[in-house]
Amino acid sequence: MALLEVHNLVKAFGGLKANDDVSFTVDQGELLGLIGPNGAGKTTLFNCIAGMFPPTSGRIVFAGEDVTALGAPEMARRGLARTFQVYVAAGDLNVLENVMVGCFMHTRSQSKARALAEGILDDIGLRDLKLNLVSELPVAAQKRVTMATALATSPRLLLLDEVAAGLNPSEIEDIMAGIRHIHADLGITVMLIEHVMELVMNVSQRVIVLDYGKKIAEGPPRDVARNPVVIKAYLGERYVRERKVSSDGDRHEHHGRADS
Amino acid sequence: MEAIRNALDFSDFPRIDRMVALAVVLLLVTFPLFPHSAFAMATMIQFLMFSLYGMGWNTIGGYGGQVDLGKAQYVGIGAYTTTVCLLRWDIPFWVSMPLGACLSIGWSFIIGYPLFQLKGHYFAIATIATSLVLKDIFEVWKFVGAARGLGILPFKYQTPDFLRLIFKEDVYYYYTIFGLFIIGLLYMNWFRKSRLGFQLRSIKDNEEVARSLGINVHWAKIKTYAIATAFVSVVGSFHAVYVKNIEPEDTMSLDISILIALMAMLGGAGSLWGPIIGAGVLIPLKSYLKEWLGAAAGLVGIDLILYGLIIMIISAFEPRGLWGIVEKIRRRKRI
Repeated sequence: MALLEVHNLVKAFGGLKANDDVSFTVDQGELLGLIGPNGAGKTTLFNCIAGMFPPTSGRIVFAGEDVTALGAPEMARRGLARTFQVYVAAGDLNVLENVMVGCFMHTRSQSKARALAEGILDDIGLRDLKLNLVSELPVAAQKRVTMATALATSPRLLLLDEVAAGLNPSEIEDIMAGIRHIHADLGITVMLIEHVMELVMNVSQRVIVLDYGKKIAEGPPRDVARNPVVIKAYLGERYVRERKVSSDGDRHEHHGRADS
Repeated sequence: MEAIRNALDFSDFPRIDRMVALAVVLLLVTFPLFPHSAFAMATMIQFLMFSLYGMGWNTIGGYGGQVDLGKAQYVGIGAYTTTVCLLRWDIPFWVSMPLGACLSIGWSFIIGYPLFQLKGHYFAIATIATSLVLKDIFEVWKFVGAARGLGILPFKYQTPDFLRLIFKEDVYYYYTIFGLFIIGLLYMNWFRKSRLGFQLRSIKDNEEVARSLGINVHWAKIKTYAIATAFVSVVGSFHAVYVKNIEPEDTMSLDISILIALMAMLGGAGSLWGPIIGAGVLIPLKSYLKEWLGAAAGLVGIDLILYGLIIMIISAFEPRGLWGIVEKIRRRKRI
């Protein structure tokens, strides 16, 4: 069953179409990756879905209900949570309080919100940091705080925007385990934007590729990685040719330099 | 039930804070028993009034980060409601004070809706404008005495009059405002832990994130603005019966708005103790400066220069005020 349906979505900023006729669906319980070169319109697509701004045209259906015109707070209340690529924490709230803000969406009671938040922090492994200001934390912990805060709204669909950017390999391992935990154990449908290919290819069940605002490919990670259109979008025409030559010939992959 | 418990619960503050707070409260309770000058008494009443103004401002300005420089208009609405009610219809203070607060809140919703479409400096400037417009209206409005204002004649009443709050001795006023001060403090202690308090702090941090967490940012701001307004209006009503002579200039001028904002900004915006610390430093300073340098040495307006200086120093060095410095030191010690 489709939890999220996006039909012919267009988002234009002036003359620039950041999303151009994008259609796809996310099934209940799926873990979907969204990739594409810088400026492909991935975050814009997230913003449209999350109701941060309305799409120029097209339709968004969430849990069987047309939500195209709804704003971000209404989307959050319907069960859609998201993280932000650049999380600017001015530093007034500590980790626990940050997560409590999310919990307050479902309760007015301070003690209930606190109990909920502490449970989530234990689950995500942030218990020891709960009294630190978010701005004092290293990037990896900040990313986990944003995930915990989003989880605090108890979402049905979680949109993760580059949660692994700027992390080292062992931190990426941790975040990957975290995403798997959210998806498998908590049963939350996840859609993630990621540049760290190792992560996307490993955790995603299906991948969508955007380039210049258009959807250029969709499928299981393996197929997408081999798709010439995707390789072209990421690396340029030359690499598609080289790859073909190499696989036709001596089955040895060239690692050509773009400037040679 | 939980709300009352939260209002009375200060346990998340370190021991030293609670001890100091308790000492200050005891000092305030016993102050009138010590020998004191009328001037000192007047300064203390001013201190309590401005602490309350500052607490009100601190909701929207401190926790919410929306620098509001138009609070004086609500001092005016509160003060005029109480005075007009008393003079025209002999309505006692305890009726006119909530009535004034309701009028203030009504007005705050009307102007809050468009005001909060603006952000940052634009919002601050717009709040100044709304306050000055209201002041100009009152200056030509004959019904409320126009620019000359209205006066309450105390000898017309049998003092002490606890219903109309007309007293000869200042000590009655002192304990009245002290009672309001304690209520205000407990309310703020609840507020900072409430859902709205958390939502505001999230809004101050980052509005986009707040929206994504299901917070209706515009409505949360308007609601909080109304709470701030109620605080200011109640103290404005008290001001009317205490001073007994109100005019647009000394209730609704820009100085008053700035002074209200300055209490929390100097003491520590977004902290419970901030406005009280700010008022504790600024009000004595202001009174004595006016008395000594202003009147004696002819340096009229010296207090205004001082406010300007303080604003510049705070915004350059420590945006979280005096309490921010204390917290910084504590944090450094802990780590």
